[in-house]
Amino acid sequence: MALLRSLAPALAFAAVYFAASLAVTNSYYQLMMTLVLVWAVMGLSWNMISGYTGLVSFGHAAFFGLGAYFTVLAHVFFGISPWIAIPLAGVVGAAAGLVVGIPTFRLRGHYFALSMLAYPLALLYVFEWLGFQEVSVPMERTSPVAYMQFQDHRVHTWLALAILVGVIAVTRMVERSRFGMALIAIKQNEAAAEAAGIDTLAWKLRAMMLSAAIAGAIGGFYAVVLLVVTPVAVFGMLASAQALTVAMFGGVGTVWGPVIGALILIPTSETLHAELGARLPGIQGVIYGLAIVAVVLLAPEGVYWKVRDKLRQRRSRGEAVRPADAQAATAAAADAAAPAAVAELPRRRVTHGRTLLDVRNLSKSFGGLKAVQNVSFSVIEGQILGIIGPNGAGKTTLFNLLNGFLKPDAGEVLLDGTDMVGRKPHDLCAAGMGRTFQVMRPFARMTVAENVIVGAYVKAKTEDEARALAAQAIARVGLEAHVDRVAGGLTTKELRLMELARALAGQPRLLLLDETLAGLGRGEVGDVIAVVRRLAAEGTTIVIIEHTMHAMVRLVDSFVVLDHGKVLLDGAPEEVTRDPLVIEAYLGSKWSNAHA
Amino acid sequence: MEALKINRRDLLKSTAATAALAYGMAGASAFAQTPAEVEVGLIVPLSGIYARPGQVMRMGAEMAIEDINAAGGIGSLGGAKLKLVIVDAGDSTEKSKNAAQRMVAEHTNLVAASGAYLSSFTLAVTEVTERAGLPVLTLSYSDLITSRGFKYVFQTSATAASQAEQSLPVVIDLATRATGSKPKSVAIVTDNTAASVASVKPMRERLLKELGIELVVDETFTPPLADATPLVQRIRSARPDLVFFLPTVISDAKLMLEKLNEFGLGQGRIPLISFGIAIAEPDLLKTMNPALVEGVMTCVGNWGFKGHEALIKRIKDKYNEPWMTQNAISTYGDMWIIKEALESAKKADKEAVAQALRTVDMDGGPARYFPGGKLKFDENGRRVGAGLTIVQWRNGIPSTVAPANIAMAEPYWPKK
Repeated sequence: MALLRSLAPALAFAAVYFAASLAVTNSYYQLMMTLVLVWAVMGLSWNMISGYTGLVSFGHAAFFGLGAYFTVLAHVFFGISPWIAIPLAGVVGAAAGLVVGIPTFRLRGHYFALSMLAYPLALLYVFEWLGFQEVSVPMERTSPVAYMQFQDHRVHTWLALAILVGVIAVTRMVERSRFGMALIAIKQNEAAAEAAGIDTLAWKLRAMMLSAAIAGAIGGFYAVVLLVVTPVAVFGMLASAQALTVAMFGGVGTVWGPVIGALILIPTSETLHAELGARLPGIQGVIYGLAIVAVVLLAPEGVYWKVRDKLRQRRSRGEAVRPADAQAATAAAADAAAPAAVAELPRRRVTHGRTLLDVRNLSKSFGGLKAVQNVSFSVIEGQILGIIGPNGAGKTTLFNLLNGFLKPDAGEVLLDGTDMVGRKPHDLCAAGMGRTFQVMRPFARMTVAENVIVGAYVKAKTEDEARALAAQAIARVGLEAHVDRVAGGLTTKELRLMELARALAGQPRLLLLDETLAGLGRGEVGDVIAVVRRLAAEGTTIVIIEHTMHAMVRLVDSFVVLDHGKVLLDGAPEEVTRDPLVIEAYLGSKWSNAHA
Repeated sequence: MEALKINRRDLLKSTAATAALAYGMAGASAFAQTPAEVEVGLIVPLSGIYARPGQVMRMGAEMAIEDINAAGGIGSLGGAKLKLVIVDAGDSTEKSKNAAQRMVAEHTNLVAASGAYLSSFTLAVTEVTERAGLPVLTLSYSDLITSRGFKYVFQTSATAASQAEQSLPVVIDLATRATGSKPKSVAIVTDNTAASVASVKPMRERLLKELGIELVVDETFTPPLADATPLVQRIRSARPDLVFFLPTVISDAKLMLEKLNEFGLGQGRIPLISFGIAIAEPDLLKTMNPALVEGVMTCVGNWGFKGHEALIKRIKDKYNEPWMTQNAISTYGDMWIIKEALESAKKADKEAVAQALRTVDMDGGPARYFPGGKLKFDENGRRVGAGLTIVQWRNGIPSTVAPANIAMAEPYWPKK
């Protein structure tokens, strides 16, 4: 139902476009109306992978071209009608997406973009070599309609419109499901997504296949419209660039971006070509290029986001005062409540019980630097263990070893008796190990609720369950008042709590907190500590890294002191702080500096 | 001037899609027809990398329109004048196809058109014009153009396969007469564009075998070449009696010729035969010493030949073109064919013109602008008896040297 409501604008757009197409009698403009839709769909296909995951593909022509050639060759050699071949072209595209995705997703950033570029270029030469320099769609004189050949070109426009609405619906469905959440999380922060229990490679592959399927199908349709398929037309740089340009121009990461982009750019480029091409040959390319440069400079995220942000600003200016006040009030109330709760809870130390995490002889070197050497310790269920040490002691490396971001050279990490070494972060997350990051990794464009929900998918079977888990986690950290705020606008403390909630939403048994207190003011430290203690009291086992000592003394049941990658000492807080070795070798200078 | 103003204003508006479309609907009616004029189309690339041949085709068309109108226009239509409508086919098949769509949608009065230089563009353009029932004359070679069962496309050049078939015996005969012995071995170095591939295919598969000639080097490259050294090394080690070299891009022709010269194989040491126009383009001389191309031959669908002297002089005076390539002469001839068809159709209607083109059968007339055969098209739209010209670089100018009846110079076989 909600999906249908979200499709209302798309259907309204389709209705207007349909009505407009009825009025157009000039066959050239009918063709343009079809091409706008073809490139809008192609932009949406690109958007599915690159818009949502942020991995820029310069090679979507590979799928587009395969679809186009599949459709035209199926017609030429086997007499298969495009009505059948176009859906099959989607399947071909998806298969190609899988084949391309598996090796290419090992790469990131520019390397990914560049290697994607190679696929269509390689295919271009393959098809030339195969002797398909130009393949024309056979003209069916007896039963043209059975081969998608219409005297009235508007039928093509309508077919393209149907495809577009279908693709928008699919995109909307993806956006609203854990699929879309996973992709957006990957885009905003792949490491955080992985730590939140998202199998990033699997989701990226699914996105790639879906995207490639759309590209393949629309490529097949394009062949029907273009009539002559040449390698350059469908595998060429321009085809990839066009997909990317309409999406980037219109707005990345939204269904409307590619539609807006195609609506503006395709007719502009054609009009320029038609009007100026014969008089000032080449000038159309210059103007077109300049227009794109201008838009990219003025609205780097695309027209859609620029307009939306402008509208939001205008609207919020009117309402700014009231909600902000209300929010502040509730936030203040929550803040006031938290420390009071702490005071009431004198904590009984957990020193005995079942071992939840057992770390044995863990070692990791980076070249000659032994970042972690022979580290062993264990964590008892329900305990709060503090790992301390100066900067460079190997704390974060140790953490990354524990939760799978790094693979140790030697040693074991036993969670409940099972060795977890070599597992991927999302796997460990599913096994009950949550984490936060020293450098905060929020999904800045998403709301607090959305940020937290990403962490819930690892446990939740359904959307409702995920929402419930997220709400529960938000309540546990006391952020109820902020659920609908965008993460980009939160304070450091709120971000820390939100990250905590995201880790909690997956209902971990063991929570690894990486310098959760860093960057907080004195009062704020107290608030966060209160939350952590409450979590421990509720039964979550916690391992926390810190280098500020005195806050930790109040919090933890036991310390592990690291220095130069080795365990210097472990024991109860009093013992550790009083140990002359610790004070001399490591705490001494820091301690006195802190009180200077 | 008024129309131009409207264009410009609307152009600004057209950044919005709807405006562009609205403009189209209004714009179409703005092209009102002058009754005394008959519109003929020329759809050729005027922007992008093929703009140069497109411009030369335009020169040919403009000269023809001038001549036809000066000679009294279309007699059977009361002396109606021809009007040329020029459409930019752009630099890709997609653009050509769109341009063709625009041409048939906006210029509904067109009776016929000529175009579109590159075979792939012509294929795309004729897919549209066929459906719109607009007859199109073309100088493109690809056999595909006239093997789709189309009724509205007329190919004035011999097809690529036919050119290979026709030219090979002539070339071999020439070599035999000049050197006293038949060539025994050849090398083929070709790029992988459609026309080159189509020309080479029958040679590889059949023609060389039939003539008892051994193929000792067979290399295909993708333009543009970065370095011709490996190709030339292969030729040097195999030492064929002659080399067939088929570039489409001028820079490839230059690279290969210079490299051959560097290796001491140039200037006729090993005779070089090409297909197509690239190696005889005036642009070649902008970057190359004419001595390097001296003696190089090429087999082309059409060229300025004996009887065209006045035209060759005019294109030099008027447009500063040093000689008349196929692009100019064939397009010039196309316009005369359209004129002839209009004369017998007796009305300015594309269907009638198409019908006239299908039935026309005459010797001489516009046929004198094309080598061989006559003005008659078979059921596929191929000109009956279409021959070709063999052109050779002589004293810095590519001159027609065969067939003998239209040659402007004697062919000579470069000797070692």
